[in-house]
Formats: sequence, structure tokens, C-alpha cells
Amino acid sequence: MSLVSLSNVSVRYGRLTAVRGVTFTLAEGEILFITGPNGAGKSSLLRAIAGVTPPAGGRIDFADHDITGRAPEDIARLGLSMVPEGRDVFGSLTIEENLMVGTGMHARERSWKARAANELEAVYATFPILKERRHTQAGLLSGGQQQMLVIGRALMTNPRLVAIDEPSLGLAPNITDQVYERLITLRAERRLTLLIVEQSSTRAMMVGGRMMLMRGGEILLDGDARALGQSEAMQAAYFGYGEH
Amino acid sequence: MARPSMLRRTIATPLILSALLVAFALVAWLAGSRPFNQTVIDIFLQVIFVVGLYTFVGNSGVISFGHIAFACLGGYVAAWTTIKPMMKGVSMPGLPDWLMQLEIPFWAAAVAGGGFAAFWALVFGAVLMRLSGIAASIATFAMLAMVNSIYSNWTSVTAATSSVVGIPIVRTVWPYLIAAIIVVFIAWAFAISRYGLALRAARDEPTAAAASGVDIPRVRLIAFVISGAIMGAGGALYAHSIGLVTPDTFYLGLTFTTLSMLVVGGIGSLSGAVLGVLILSSLIQGLRWLEAGVQVGASTIALPGGVQEIALGAVMILILMFRPAGIMGNSELTGRIARTEKPGEPGEN
Repeated sequence: MSLVSLSNVSVRYGRLTAVRGVTFTLAEGEILFITGPNGAGKSSLLRAIAGVTPPAGGRIDFADHDITGRAPEDIARLGLSMVPEGRDVFGSLTIEENLMVGTGMHARERSWKARAANELEAVYATFPILKERRHTQAGLLSGGQQQMLVIGRALMTNPRLVAIDEPSLGLAPNITDQVYERLITLRAERRLTLLIVEQSSTRAMMVGGRMMLMRGGEILLDGDARALGQSEAMQAAYFGYGEH
Repeated sequence: MARPSMLRRTIATPLILSALLVAFALVAWLAGSRPFNQTVIDIFLQVIFVVGLYTFVGNSGVISFGHIAFACLGGYVAAWTTIKPMMKGVSMPGLPDWLMQLEIPFWAAAVAGGGFAAFWALVFGAVLMRLSGIAASIATFAMLAMVNSIYSNWTSVTAATSSVVGIPIVRTVWPYLIAAIIVVFIAWAFAISRYGLALRAARDEPTAAAASGVDIPRVRLIAFVISGAIMGAGGALYAHSIGLVTPDTFYLGLTFTTLSMLVVGGIGSLSGAVLGVLILSSLIQGLRWLEAGVQVGASTIALPGGVQEIALGAVMILILMFRPAGIMGNSELTGRIARTEKPGEPGEN
């Protein structure tokens, strides 16, 4: 049974079409990289899945719910956490407050505080640096720490799927390595499904898993990351050779 | 456990602020002069208004020009419920019979004023909280104008623009001090609650907050109702401090004083809200004394009239020039010297 399924999803901003009739399914526990050049529609697709930008057409299902056009906070509650591009931490809040946001929002039961504390400990175990600096304002953290914080924040709702937009953006390669190391550990520990948008395919080839190539709002290639990454079809599709 | 450590870390803030307020009350009590007593009462009322405004504006980041409307609603509740029935019959003949006969103590009127304002905050807020940014601010201003216009024209229940007199005057500073302290604690408790946290997150990054499961209009509405209640209670107490209300008592003048004290103190900080009032009010009072004249030896030195407004404006400009986020910015008084945080560990990018 697939966790996510998209059929014929398109996203428009006014007269500009960013995503054209995208269809795919994603199974529980899978790791999927969506790569492609600037303006391919990768982020728009991610935002549509998370409900931040409602799709102009098509249908999106998540965990047996039709989530097409639902509000992002509802989708988050179903277990789909998005980490938006640009590491937008809540700058004036402390690390701990950043992590606590949203934990009590859909917990009607009285034990939400105890549960939030458990989640907090789990996130701190994955990212010890966050525990060390728990009372620091998030706006004062380095880029790598902010990236870890937003991933940690996404984990606080105990999601089934984490969708991350360009986790390596603006990070030094060794920091990116650290971030990916944690993501892969997390996936193994929690049986997480990961949907990661990256501009380049190098990271996908290193990590492995499934990879899709987007260009001009459409999915051109879909397959095993390592096999696809080495193929000539990949380069041709990425740069648009052979179309002229 | 994470929660208790956070609590310990911040409960110092309302305690320090309360201590500051108590210090002002003690000075007024020891001085024993009536005009000074009245000044301190005014300061406490202003603390209630600014902290009430902070509860919404500080946590949500949405500037509201309309909160004084809730003070107006509360002020008239005090008039309806505490003036002697005979006097009410003359000035406000249109009141329903049960309200006409009602005569409750001032503190009950403050609670009722808060409740009445909270109800209308819920009604207005249900519509307004879907808006964002400048549109929301303009809409709150429209709400202020609407309330003012209704209260200025509904002659039979508000006596229109003429003063409603006969509200029992409360002259001691203690009830105002207690109310201000309660309000400071309410504002603090809200800011650290899960809704306050969610709202502050939405202020910093709305998209990420929504993606974390925060229903932004709903948490904004909760803050709007709580802050409306505080403003309503403050309005009722204001009525009891001067003994009368008119719709224009609660209009543009009070709106801009309240907003500017919050901005000078620091919009995002409870400590800033309280300090903004204490500092600006002290400054205004000091300038008033200087205008009235100070005895130095045999001669009296007095500043020319009007210096008060000019100096106040200049001080506000200077504060905002050097501290654009207000005196406190986003930080709170915690009783500890702030450690300077390094922006990142070496080698951590």
C-alpha cells in the first residue's frame, strides 16, 4: 500500500504553470529524491503535497486520506511534516521552544506534555548539539545547527513522512554530510519515509534510494538513484540536450 | 523533563515586573500627596492597557489600532453596573430594567467589563483574525471607529457624547496595583502556554508554523480574546479612577499613547511593555514638574510650556534610533546578566 499517491497534480501561480500533471506513488519507508534544475517545479510540488500551496488540479492522497487542498496544519496532523526551504527557524524563540511549537496543538489528551517531553528527548538524542544549546535563541545558531533544528522540529509530531526542501542549501559539504547521516539513521530507527528535494543528483547517488528528475514542471525520469545518476539519459534530461 | 526547566527560567520575569510595580505603589503611598497618588494610578492603568495590547500584538506581530475599543466597552460596563439607579435613569434611560437596578462593586464591574469585551473580541476576532499584516491593522482601526461611533450616538444607553458621571471613584492605589500585577501574570502565562508559543512561532515564520500544525487564525483569536478581556477590565478600572466616561476618553489619544509606549518598550517583550510605561510616564511626569517650575535657591526655574510634548517626542525618536526594536527588543528581564551567545561554534559553519 502506498503512503503517498499523486495523480495528475498541477500547480499554478497566476498564469504561470509550475507543475504539470505529475503522477507518482511513494511506499512507506521509501526514500525519494526529487532533483532537477532551477525552476523545475520541485519546491512547488513539495509545497503542494504539504498543503502550503494548494494544487490547481489533480488529487493527492496521504495515508488513505484525500488531502487535496486541505490546510497545511491539518496535513501536518495526519503525519506529514514538511521542512521548508531556507531553514526558517522561529528566530526569536529558543531551540527548545522551537521544538515545542505544535506539539500541544493537536493533543487534546492531558498527557500531551509528557509525550512532548519524550519526543524532545528523542530529538535531543539524535542531535546532541540542540540539547547543549537548548536555551539559545534559534536566530543565533549556525546554518548547520538551524538545519538540524528544523529537521528536529519536523520530527516532534512523530510523522510518517518527512518532506525536506534542499537540506544542503548554503551548507558546507561536511555539514551536509552530518545532516544526511542523521537523516539516514532516523529513517532506519523510525521507519520514516523521506521525500527530499535537491538541485543536484550527487547527494542522491551517495545516499541511494529512488530518484526522480523534474524539468519544466514534469517528471522526466524515475528510477534507482545510483543507476539513474550514472546514465547519459540523466545528463541529457537535466540539461535538456537533444530537444533542439 | 523539559517543561519545568523552562518555567523556572522565566517565572523571574513577572516577579521582577511585579516588584517594580510594588515599588511605584510604595513610593506613592509614602509620598502621600494626592496628585502623585493619581499619577501612579494612571501609570498602573496604562500598564494594564499596554500589557493587554502586548498580549495580542507582541505575540502575533499584528499591529492593532483597535484595542482601545475594548477599553471603551469595559468602561461603559462600569458605568452601567455601578452608577446609582436613580442617576442612571436620568443619563441613560434606555437601559433594560435589570441593568438599571444593578449596582455592583467596582471589582465586579472590572470582571464584567473584561467578560463583555472578551465576548465582542470573539465576535470581531472571528472575522479579523483571517486577515494578515496591514489589512488586519486597518480592520482593527475600523473596529475602533465603529465602536466609537456607536457609543457616540446611542443616546439612550450611552448618553452619546456627553459625559456619564456618577461612577464611584476608587482613590487608593492598591486595587490598581493588584489588577496590574494580575494582568502581568496573565500575559506571562499566555506567552509561555502552548498557544502563546504557537502564536510567537507564527509571528516569526507563518509558513513553517502552519507546517508544524499551528492553526494560525485560531491561536490569534485566542490571544485577541484574552487581550480584549484585559483591555475591557482596564477600561472599567479607568472609569473608576476618574468617575466618568465619554466615548472620546477611549479613542485616538489613548490608542496612540498605548501603542507608542509598547513600541518604545519593545513590541515583542512583556518586560518592554511594562518598562515602556514606567519610563515614558516617569519622563512625562518629570517634564510636567519642570514646566511647573523648580525652586533652585531663591529663584524658580521653569521650562516654557509645551516643552513636555517636544521633549517626549525627541526622546522617543532617540530611543527608536538607537534601539529600533524598543528598549527591550525581544528579550525579557530574567534577573540574570545575559550571556553573549556566539553565533556558532567554530567549524560548525
